[in-house]
Amino acid sequence: MQEIDVRIGRYSVRKTDLIRLFSILLLTTLCIVISAFSFSRSVGFISSQLLFIPILYAAYVYPKRGLYIAAVCSIAFQTIGYLYSYPNAVALLSVTAEAILFIVIAAIIGYFIEQIRSGEVRYRTVFENSQLGIIIFDTKDFSIRQTNEKFAAMLNYPAAELLKKPLLEIFLTPREKSRFLERIGKEKTTSDFETRFAAKDGSSCWVNLSWGQISDDLVSCSVININARKLAEKLNNDNMMKYRQLTEGSPTSILVVQNGYIRFANPSFITFVEYPPAEITGKSLASFIDKGDLDAFTEFAAKWVQKIPAKHSKEFRFLTKNGEIRIGALFTNQVMHMGNPATLVNIVDISEKQRLEDQIHMDNERRRGVIVTVAHELRTPLQPILGYLNLLISDAEGFGIKDDTRKILERCLVSVDRERQIINQMLDLSVLESGKIQLTCSTFALAPLVKKVLDAGGYATKAELTVDIEDSVQVTGDMDRLYSVIDSLLSNAVNYSKPPRKIGIFYRSAIGDKQHHIAIRDNGIGIPQDQFTSIFEPFQLADGTVLSRKYDRLGLSLSIVKKIVQMHGGTITVESVVNAGSTFTIHLPREVHHDA
Amino acid sequence: MTHKIMLVEDDQPILDMMDILLRRIGYEPVLVPDVMDALDRVRNDPPALILLDIMMTPMNGWEFLDKLRGEYHIRELPVILFTASPSVEERLALMKDPYLGVLQKPVSIPELKAGLEKFLGKPE
Repeated sequence: MQEIDVRIGRYSVRKTDLIRLFSILLLTTLCIVISAFSFSRSVGFISSQLLFIPILYAAYVYPKRGLYIAAVCSIAFQTIGYLYSYPNAVALLSVTAEAILFIVIAAIIGYFIEQIRSGEVRYRTVFENSQLGIIIFDTKDFSIRQTNEKFAAMLNYPAAELLKKPLLEIFLTPREKSRFLERIGKEKTTSDFETRFAAKDGSSCWVNLSWGQISDDLVSCSVININARKLAEKLNNDNMMKYRQLTEGSPTSILVVQNGYIRFANPSFITFVEYPPAEITGKSLASFIDKGDLDAFTEFAAKWVQKIPAKHSKEFRFLTKNGEIRIGALFTNQVMHMGNPATLVNIVDISEKQRLEDQIHMDNERRRGVIVTVAHELRTPLQPILGYLNLLISDAEGFGIKDDTRKILERCLVSVDRERQIINQMLDLSVLESGKIQLTCSTFALAPLVKKVLDAGGYATKAELTVDIEDSVQVTGDMDRLYSVIDSLLSNAVNYSKPPRKIGIFYRSAIGDKQHHIAIRDNGIGIPQDQFTSIFEPFQLADGTVLSRKYDRLGLSLSIVKKIVQMHGGTITVESVVNAGSTFTIHLPREVHHDA
Repeated sequence: MTHKIMLVEDDQPILDMMDILLRRIGYEPVLVPDVMDALDRVRNDPPALILLDIMMTPMNGWEFLDKLRGEYHIRELPVILFTASPSVEERLALMKDPYLGVLQKPVSIPELKAGLEKFLGKPE
């Protein structure tokens, strides 16, 4: 409605207000005159009621200012009343009461009108400023009675144009229209009805409708634009299709995990955990982990959030639907999923590998148990033999033993000693291979250790020795075990050579070399090149015919030597020429890192 | 006076041999084939040293050692574990008992002599 301002001096007033004011004043004056006249003629019943006309009108148009009119009427009525009724006390009281009634009535009407008006304003504000589209339509002909800018903007229509269109014409397809008609025929109140409207240019607009009846024929319907969500869903479906195609045939389980929840799982994972797909997607990955591993897993998964790339895989126990434990090695990558960071988790089922490893471990344990028992059983009967032989040899004369018999007994003693040694070596190797032995490392001078071995073994009497180790050479390692390594190699050097024996012990290590090289050289029978590896294998006396005769005393000593050197992180090599001699070289790291 | 050496051992051939051998090297052997009798024998007539087998029934050497060490008056009685069982040394090292040694069967006369002399000194 067009407003026209009328200027009166400094004030500007709307034209409507001016007309209303004029009418009210006119009515008031008229009513006062009539009521004064009726008083003068004593027509009491007209006097008061007449004044309600301007009062009610004023209160209706101006709820607050209507009170002034009521006051004016009240004063006028009272003045006139007093003038004509004085000194009749009852009449005066009645006039006063009427006057008060004017004001009270005006106040009450003003109050209610005000309430109604503010309610309307609120409703209009909500309607016009709502972030929801709102349509009010008639259920008889589906004409749009009212709508707001938001809805019009949704479909790119000017609001006025929409009012002329029947609601049913803005559905995108006839199918959508009939779905809507079916729904509204069944439900007078509904929420979350998703459908598609056509925008002005004919393009599709996904909307979510909620409606409720506001009168017999009118329905108010709120409209939410869900285009963005639908697009995201479509994208999601496309992504899922892509994942599915990429991972379908993969033998490893592949998951997309976001905030700990599984967004995608390939068929392998379904087979791995034996849960149906519906019980996987949306669940947290942690819910498939066995309780015992849950803490470790939580710690592991926390790193995904911090985006710390996992360099190594980690193994966790999974609990299948049937309550079976499966072991999976997890490899992770950070990826984007639906525009947000996510983790691509690969799970390799290593249950079978683990089972085999456990089996091997158990078999090894059992084998070691057997070796320990066998060793005990083999050593016990040796005791009387060794004791008696010692006894007889130590006092041959006392026992009346002749010299040649004594020699036979001495040979028996050598054999018993050798058997004892082999059993001990077998045990040593078994213990070393169990991995239960820790090296006791220290740093010490090499030359004194070698001297100690040479003295204790009496090697100087058995061979011509050449030792070339500088006093300043320090090595780091388990001194007792290295002692036995050097002793074994020297003992072999003696056993596999004939006088005149020449044994050399040499040390070399260049500046910057990370290893010590300790070589033990003999002038013995030598080893054919094709045996260089097998001589270090336990009980591998290789060529059964030729070698066993020559090397039968080798037994397990080289296997033990190799194992000890390996435990130090080193290696042992051999160079040899048959019938010229062999050189065994220990390559020991300067800094020992334990290799159990 | 010759030292009494008690041998707690359930293998008869070893007992027979050790009987001769210990006498030869100048000790007086006390042979105990049943470990259940051993503690009483020690209480009645404490030896200078006990050679103790480990794999015995119904009580093994370790169990016997526990009982023996529980008795105050024999606390300083040296014991040499005389055994064919491997890896006794590790357990021995953990016990840190200065009156406890080990000899691995089979043991030669020089080894036995050295083992005994470590605790008892040279025989007269």
